[in-house]
Amino acid sequence: MSLFKLVGKRLLLIPVSLFILVSLSFLLLELMPGNPAITIAGDFASDEEIAKIEASLGLNDPLGARYLSYVGSVVRGDLGRSFFSNEPVLAELSERLPATMELVILALIVAGIVGLFLGVLGAYYRGRKVDQITRGTVTLFQSIPDFLMALLLIFFLFYLWSVAPAPVGRLGFSDVAVDTTTGFLLIDTLIAGDVNAFFVAGQHLFLPVLALGIVYAAYFGKTARSTMAIALDSTQVEFARACGLPERKVVYYAFLQARTPILTYGAILFGALIGGAAIIETIFSWPGVGNWALSAILSLDIPVIQGFILAAGFVTITLFLLLDVLIVLLDPRVRF
Amino acid sequence: MGELRHRSGETLKASFRVLRDQPGIGIGLSVVVLMLLAGFFLPLPYSPTRPDPLNVLQPPSSLHWFGTDSNGFDVFSRTIASAARDLPLALIGTLLSALVGVPLGLLASTKGPWSERIMRGLDVFQSFPLVVLAIAIVTLMGNRLENVIIAILIVNVPRFMRLVRSEALSLRESRFIEAARAVGATPLRVMRKHMFPNVIGVVLSQTSLAAAQAIGIIAALSFLGVGVSPPNPSWGLMIQTGVRSITSGDWWVIVFPGMAVLIAVAAFNLVADGLQMRQENER
Repeated sequence: MSLFKLVGKRLLLIPVSLFILVSLSFLLLELMPGNPAITIAGDFASDEEIAKIEASLGLNDPLGARYLSYVGSVVRGDLGRSFFSNEPVLAELSERLPATMELVILALIVAGIVGLFLGVLGAYYRGRKVDQITRGTVTLFQSIPDFLMALLLIFFLFYLWSVAPAPVGRLGFSDVAVDTTTGFLLIDTLIAGDVNAFFVAGQHLFLPVLALGIVYAAYFGKTARSTMAIALDSTQVEFARACGLPERKVVYYAFLQARTPILTYGAILFGALIGGAAIIETIFSWPGVGNWALSAILSLDIPVIQGFILAAGFVTITLFLLLDVLIVLLDPRVRF
Repeated sequence: MGELRHRSGETLKASFRVLRDQPGIGIGLSVVVLMLLAGFFLPLPYSPTRPDPLNVLQPPSSLHWFGTDSNGFDVFSRTIASAARDLPLALIGTLLSALVGVPLGLLASTKGPWSERIMRGLDVFQSFPLVVLAIAIVTLMGNRLENVIIAILIVNVPRFMRLVRSEALSLRESRFIEAARAVGATPLRVMRKHMFPNVIGVVLSQTSLAAAQAIGIIAALSFLGVGVSPPNPSWGLMIQTGVRSITSGDWWVIVFPGMAVLIAVAAFNLVADGLQMRQENER
């Protein structure tokens, strides 16, 4: 009962959040200085040329009119066209978002496994040698910028030991792409029954996933250590021990108590990584949204930037809805 | 007067005790100070801003300790010189963030609908990817150094606010605040005299953490060519130069500035970790 109520309430909030998101993405770019017409025309364009481009972009219309037409077209599913490539933003977004999602989901799985392992180990042996070692490892992982980690992995695993392919995107130059159904290459290749392509896609995912996974494992490790340390000190755990339960069971019960904050943290990281993987995507020539948004920002390609903000915001909103439901299912304490 | 001297002696003793129990704090701080001193005062074998086009992509040798990059810059000179630019930028940005964020966080901890609303507004803001936000700010406001500091401020002020507010909210319920209010202390005095000293610990460790992050952000920005202009040295920019040559095995262009970033970030993380442990042990 209460679950339905919560989901209902959250679902009602989604249109409101989306409306705020659309307005924000419009306003944010309106209020920022910088004239896209000058950027498009180049530094040596005459005033007339710039004026012409301004008119064609509709930059001369009053703010209110532009806002209404923007909201109207977004509602109709039209996110405009890129100033530079003239491609529809929505089409490119639907092509690029799955590439980023595939990368981010796998990276978070790696980060979660490594981070939880380090964090739980540290919390269990807190204050002892093992704790110092795991804390040191976490601090080290946290101190490596993700792009440096990526470059080091490329140097060792591609150049020196050639166990990973060159950083040229989701597939090699000579590989044939399979039909797109989900946009997730690992799934699409399996649907197409092309086992060879599946492994090629996996190999190309290996380095970027590892780079992101190791760096973000630090965040999971920190959260896991602090929440597990609290859980292991709780009276439930004391009681479980007093009952004579085996240590594995005790740690498992403590983990049940600690998993909600860890999950929440994972969701936050997921949202942040939609754009936060941008530099990694650039290094690996990954055709994702972060990469795309980055070049759009540098060239003031406003429709693309707005499209990215909407996409990232939409993913985050959906994710937090799922998270809320999941937490209610996992943690009965929230329901009361 | 005598009492005052006694008390300052006590604080000194307490500081030493902290440094002994958490050696990470001392190690981290000395590494940062050493890097800063080296960046500003160490005599460099070559000019960090003038390349030597005749010696391109030389591996490390007795002439060029860290080798040269694809433009002929001496990697050692540039790695050291970058410390004088990247570190102060990160430090100023973070300290300003704390200076703005802490009072705002204390103010936002007052009861009322407004503080709730402000925090919800910050939520929206914070869900945006950090580095992308910073890049957007610097690109749209103009590719200048001051704007990097503004980007760090915009990223960090909400964090300080949130942290201080959550600490302050739990402090508000405690007896001594109630007592201070009961004897007629004004809200401002309560904040300044009773709440601020109690949040300073978490603020310090957050400042150190934010400084570590700021170094990462600055490196990411200059890696993308945002915020610094090419002849000037910056770790991120140096790593960017090496991207083209890493796939052909010229590791030194990336590894040395990379190690510098790593050491600087790790130093601040060590300090933050030590301060946090101290807090935990005190509780």
